[in-house]
Amino acid sequence: MRKEVIGPFQLFAMIVLFELGTAVVVPIGLESGHAVWISILMALPGGILLYLVYAYLYRQFPDLVISGYTRKILGKWIGWPLSLLYLPVLTYNGSRNLREAGDLLISSSYDRTPIFIINCIMVIAVMYILYQGIEVFSRTAEIYFWVIVLMGLIANFVVIIAGLVQFKNLFPIHPGEWVEALKSAYPNIWIFPYGELVCFTAILPHFNSKHKIGRTGVGAMALSAFLLSFTHAVEMSVLGEDIYSRTTFPMFTTITLVNVANFLQRLDALVILTLIIGVFFKMSIYCYAAVSIAADLFHVKEPRRLVIPVGSVVLYSSFVSAENFPLHMNDGKVFLENILPILCAVIPVLLFIVHRIRRRFGWYK
Amino acid sequence: MKAKLALLLAAVLGCSLVLSGCWNSRELNELAIVSGIGLDALDGKPGYRVTFQIINPSSSAQTTGSASNQPPIIIVSATDRTIFGALRKASRRATRQLFFAHTQLVLIGESLAQKGITSLFDIFERSHELRLNSAVLVSKGTDAASVLKLLTTLESMPSMGLLKKMQNTSKVWGENRIITVFEVVNGITGESDFTINGVEIVGDAAEGEKKSSLEQSEPMVGSLMSGLGVFKEGRLIGWLNGPESRGTQWVLDKLNETNVNIVSPDMEEDIAVNIFYSKTRVKVDLQDGKPVFHVHISEEGIINETGGFVDLGKEDELQALEKGIADKTAAEVRQAVKAAQDMKTDIFNFGNELKRIHPQDWETVKEDWSGAFAEGELDLKVDAYIRSTGMRLKPYIPAKK
Repeated sequence: MRKEVIGPFQLFAMIVLFELGTAVVVPIGLESGHAVWISILMALPGGILLYLVYAYLYRQFPDLVISGYTRKILGKWIGWPLSLLYLPVLTYNGSRNLREAGDLLISSSYDRTPIFIINCIMVIAVMYILYQGIEVFSRTAEIYFWVIVLMGLIANFVVIIAGLVQFKNLFPIHPGEWVEALKSAYPNIWIFPYGELVCFTAILPHFNSKHKIGRTGVGAMALSAFLLSFTHAVEMSVLGEDIYSRTTFPMFTTITLVNVANFLQRLDALVILTLIIGVFFKMSIYCYAAVSIAADLFHVKEPRRLVIPVGSVVLYSSFVSAENFPLHMNDGKVFLENILPILCAVIPVLLFIVHRIRRRFGWYK
Repeated sequence: MKAKLALLLAAVLGCSLVLSGCWNSRELNELAIVSGIGLDALDGKPGYRVTFQIINPSSSAQTTGSASNQPPIIIVSATDRTIFGALRKASRRATRQLFFAHTQLVLIGESLAQKGITSLFDIFERSHELRLNSAVLVSKGTDAASVLKLLTTLESMPSMGLLKKMQNTSKVWGENRIITVFEVVNGITGESDFTINGVEIVGDAAEGEKKSSLEQSEPMVGSLMSGLGVFKEGRLIGWLNGPESRGTQWVLDKLNETNVNIVSPDMEEDIAVNIFYSKTRVKVDLQDGKPVFHVHISEEGIINETGGFVDLGKEDELQALEKGIADKTAAEVRQAVKAAQDMKTDIFNFGNELKRIHPQDWETVKEDWSGAFAEGELDLKVDAYIRSTGMRLKPYIPAKK
């Protein structure tokens, strides 16, 4: 069978969709108050450095997913169990995205539909596209990149022309608030959404132009950071700090306020579509990463056969992991602060250092 | 081959079953669309009497075909400890399930407003059907239910009528503005206090419920937008009327267009100036521990009527008139600020502004902000410009000898 490949723009589109995914709809970095948009930009350099670590490891081992080179670098006995850790974390994080999308749909319009049905439909779509393979998936991303950018522009544009933006909700930023912004940028925003790019270590082996890896990824991250920061700034300026911090989905609340000339109103569908598309891609990438790492660890020749089991686990854990949405958010905080940083930052950086040392001293056989 | 086809067919059918999204379906003919909600206090008991104005689809259509004699709206009310409880209890009276996504208006009865409105709006934030941009009104001197029951002319939907009245007057006269649930929630959570539009009934309210009250050229009753209700800590403590409420709008930079009558050389207040642009900049700071409110208003107007002779071609005459406009504006603003200071209620967002720009200063006064506000000084500057005199320069009225 021919090896599946993806091109630079497809990777670019996938990274942007992945970054925007849920982060554009749910509130992030609450601790920083009205300076959240600055926090997002502040976290970008750290995110880029982290990405460059992933890219470096990819260039060293262009054919291996993360579990593959973990075993190469740290040896089979440490590498195998360490990579096994990625499986539950990736599936759980995928299920968190699914849960958030399901909950927004239920609390915004489908109040009588069981969450199981809604999540099920989304998981079926994800399983289908993964079954088709990464190439089909990346071409889909290419198309939806434009759809998301267009919808984002429309949504922001109508909010601005509706005259809802109040700059006084964003400025001034006092000295103490810069520090707060920095604190919420590192590690929280640095890990979510930038650090989550660790999933792409499973996709990069399919990338077809090795020398463009740095440029494509950094460009995509910068674009998504800009879009995220802008969207959150608009949300904050419309809602004010108080409502922004209390609402479960600030973007949804923002868009419901839009009323242009008693004609353009009720644009909620835009937000729901944005979330569904974003979650679809984010979840698919998580599932794909879980599938390829599992396939690599357990020597499954045909990774496709793992799509259905992984999808089912994601679906199941999406609604058994937390009783209700507030608990889900609390779990998320613990998860983000204690578990994700280890997998997104500590392990890759460790791999990077160990690899450099081993190469420097020629400890590879 | 056949088995494969059957499988495909089953898959397609299965998909159409789940993907059509009608698990939640609510058909239009099973909904009662609520256009306005009235909230009143119960005598001596906690809880609310909630009144719903429901659109009657058969008689509200604009086509001539519907010659139904029913009024365009139906009123249903229910009492309960919570608003949502009342909403559901109303099902005992309504034949269809109430649907709130088109609620234009929330009316609060005066007695409930005096008791406090802080807890009313949670359901508007939490629900996905109720909208944050419905307008809020306080019924002055009556309960919300009687205002909702009034039928209106020109607009067949009374809620729409009230909303348009509010829009209209805020656009050209400027004593009122549209205040939405969103703004009220921001007012409650902010450091300052806030105002809500008042509406009063002129005429016999009982007559206004009948369709016959509309069958004469001057309707027997009507509603009138009247002043701004002042809320302190979520409770209605007083009303601002006429110049006071317009002065408030001026400080809040919410004035679109209004008319100012100023003095001509001949007579009192006989020149009408249409202010069509007004911009207010507010800065608040502390000087010797006392707040100082720097308010700078720039406005532009057109002379639309003069009652006596003014030589509008002359620059110094025009400058005198510009000064007249500025003085008149300043007087109204001072009146509004004084009224608010007498009530010790910061309705101008000065507290929020101070906290935003000078958080350290805010810490020193936040314990007793209403006291500090009442002592505060107003540093007012008004720049008025006359941009046009209409289709004529000098009036036809001869100058007095």
